[in-house]
Amino acid sequence: MNKKMKIEAMWIIGVLVVLAAAAGLNVYTTGLPAFSIATKETSGTHINPSNHVIEVQGEQWAWVFTKENSTGIHTCTDSLTIHVNTTYTLVVSSTKGSHKLAVIHDLYIAQFDIQVYAVPGQNNTVTFTPIHTGTFIFECVEYCGYDHYIMRGYLTVVK
Amino acid sequence: MSVTTTLIEISVIMSIMFAILFFMYYKYLTGKTEADVLADENNYYDYGSYLRENKRKGGFLSTNNFILNDSKSIGMRYIMTALTFFFIAGSFGLLMRVSLIQPNPTLFSGREVLYDVLTTEHATLMIYMWALGGAMGIAYYLLPSFLKVKADKYGSISSTAYWIYLLGGVFILLSRTSTRWYFYPPLALQLNPYGAGAYNWLAVIGLEMIFIGITIAAIVVVRMIILDRGENVPLTKMPLFAWSVLFTLLMFLASAPFLMSALVMLFYDFFNPIFFTGVAGASSPLSFTELFWIWGHPIVYIAILPEFGLIYEIIPKFTGKKIFSYTSGVIGLALLMPLSELVWGHHLLNSGFGLQWGLFFSTASFLVVIPSAITIFNYIASLWSADKIRLSTPMLFVVNGIFDFIIGGITGVMQAMLVVNIQVHGTYWVTGHFHFIFMGITTGIIFASVYMLWPTITRGRKYDQHLATWHFTLTAIGSFVMSMGWTVGGFLGMPRFVSGYFARFQVYQDIAIAGGVIIGIGQLFFLANLIKSLLDEPSTTTNNAFEDEYTGDENEVGSNEPEPLKNPTAVGGE
Repeated sequence: MNKKMKIEAMWIIGVLVVLAAAAGLNVYTTGLPAFSIATKETSGTHINPSNHVIEVQGEQWAWVFTKENSTGIHTCTDSLTIHVNTTYTLVVSSTKGSHKLAVIHDLYIAQFDIQVYAVPGQNNTVTFTPIHTGTFIFECVEYCGYDHYIMRGYLTVVK
Repeated sequence: MSVTTTLIEISVIMSIMFAILFFMYYKYLTGKTEADVLADENNYYDYGSYLRENKRKGGFLSTNNFILNDSKSIGMRYIMTALTFFFIAGSFGLLMRVSLIQPNPTLFSGREVLYDVLTTEHATLMIYMWALGGAMGIAYYLLPSFLKVKADKYGSISSTAYWIYLLGGVFILLSRTSTRWYFYPPLALQLNPYGAGAYNWLAVIGLEMIFIGITIAAIVVVRMIILDRGENVPLTKMPLFAWSVLFTLLMFLASAPFLMSALVMLFYDFFNPIFFTGVAGASSPLSFTELFWIWGHPIVYIAILPEFGLIYEIIPKFTGKKIFSYTSGVIGLALLMPLSELVWGHHLLNSGFGLQWGLFFSTASFLVVIPSAITIFNYIASLWSADKIRLSTPMLFVVNGIFDFIIGGITGVMQAMLVVNIQVHGTYWVTGHFHFIFMGITTGIIFASVYMLWPTITRGRKYDQHLATWHFTLTAIGSFVMSMGWTVGGFLGMPRFVSGYFARFQVYQDIAIAGGVIIGIGQLFFLANLIKSLLDEPSTTTNNAFEDEYTGDENEVGSNEPEPLKNPTAVGGE
């Protein structure tokens, strides 16, 4: 093995070590309790909106959140108020609103590390637990037509 | 006026038109036969190459490039088309960037659809017409002399492919589509200005035509590389650029059919929405996104692989030494081909496919780093072991490209991690990531090659070094500032493809606008250089530094240390 090949082998081994570490970290972080990735709801297991289950419907061009508690069903558009230290499940889908067809949207809550596609005819679920109070932003990050940019709002976490 | 009169008038006009067309065809055929006889007498395999080499015809801005059918003329056609579309799509990019100066739409206030159209056109044209077309052009131009091809018999097929491709690009431009380059279906099916644009169907036809054109051209070029090489160019000593083109085109041929079939289904959906609508009974819109990304991920490698090969060709010209390791160069390029076909699912990590899907594709994405690292190591080692590096403009573009690719590559590995991907998917981080690579490698290296080919393109003029240095400096600084603003803003949650945004992101948008404007000004220096060269008198031969090594002598390619350049001034040397 000449010097040239030695340098090259060292380089490749170094890269492989870094990659193995990155892949290990990748698997490790997916096991953390705060981690939640969008998962398709299998048919027959649909959960209706309740205190901890929020139904989210994306339409052109607004997000509609539906919650249900002791005082009845609450619907709000482009804004959401939730309680701190409570685990919530978002059930996200897409509706056609006043248009002919429903399109794909993508709900993104940057500070909670939550992102989930709103796909027509499919419910995607994701869970999260807010641990700080305050006002946070959410946005649609999958292009969905003319007024895509106004499909955004504020999420308020209260005590 | 009765119907009969109208019909008679129409038939008379049509007869005259046919007579004119027949006369033109007759003149063309006579001229072609004469030229063929002449070329045959002089031992040329087609009249295009004969005319090009003996009559000194067919340079930049020459219509002969569009009439002659030899590979070099077709290469020039692609390069000219790519440059034209680069400036069209680039000005679209600049316009939409400037419109983002305020959080609420200002320039396009009330006409936000204009932003969507400009962004879609910018992305689609840059990828298919600039990255793909530019690489195709340089391949067509350089490969015949790199490989000393025996016979260049498929000129008319290549020419047909080029015209189909060009018409496809023009259709996309005319369609004013606003569906984003993804063409995600339920939106792509909304044929109104609030959805995908009224003429989105034309964009679908245009894209399909681009695919048909490039597929034909890819088959011709792959055939040229594998079967038509000269006897003294064995496969194992083929220039690395030829390897990179071969891998690129095989990758193209392997992945393009997925989107080609998806586009046909999408087109059928315009009339009878049964495939991708997402309503009960039809398949999920996600099935289109899968078909799209099986093609859509390889395309980003198709846009950089030929440029990787070009870097391998450019570096020895400026260091005077051979590349560090030919074998690992080929291995690096070869590994990129199968690995890049395995990772497309990382574009859909948050679509509801769940954790297992995510883990598979994010781990596969890590593996792509290995061939990229081998390639980058090879570049750095080649530069490291050189005694002296001449930093002329093409070399500056190469160094900047390596630098940008390292940043773009690291951001790429980071976003392959699931937990980071949730944070940055769909934000400007991704835009920053691929603009680092597309500005550094794709755009930078195509420009470097244009500078290398300058005396040939302009028929014997040298480029102005001051203007070229300004072009490089502004492009490099501008693209770094722009991509950095995006990367940082995107990590904090700035969504991409929006015509308005939360006021908290304004500083990152404004930084990116500054970068974009700097890039735009930089390209004006390139245009100025081009115009200056065309006004000048010819001052050098029409040889270019790329082909110097491969013309003339009968030595085996790659058997010697590269010789000093025959005309170093041609590439801006001392």
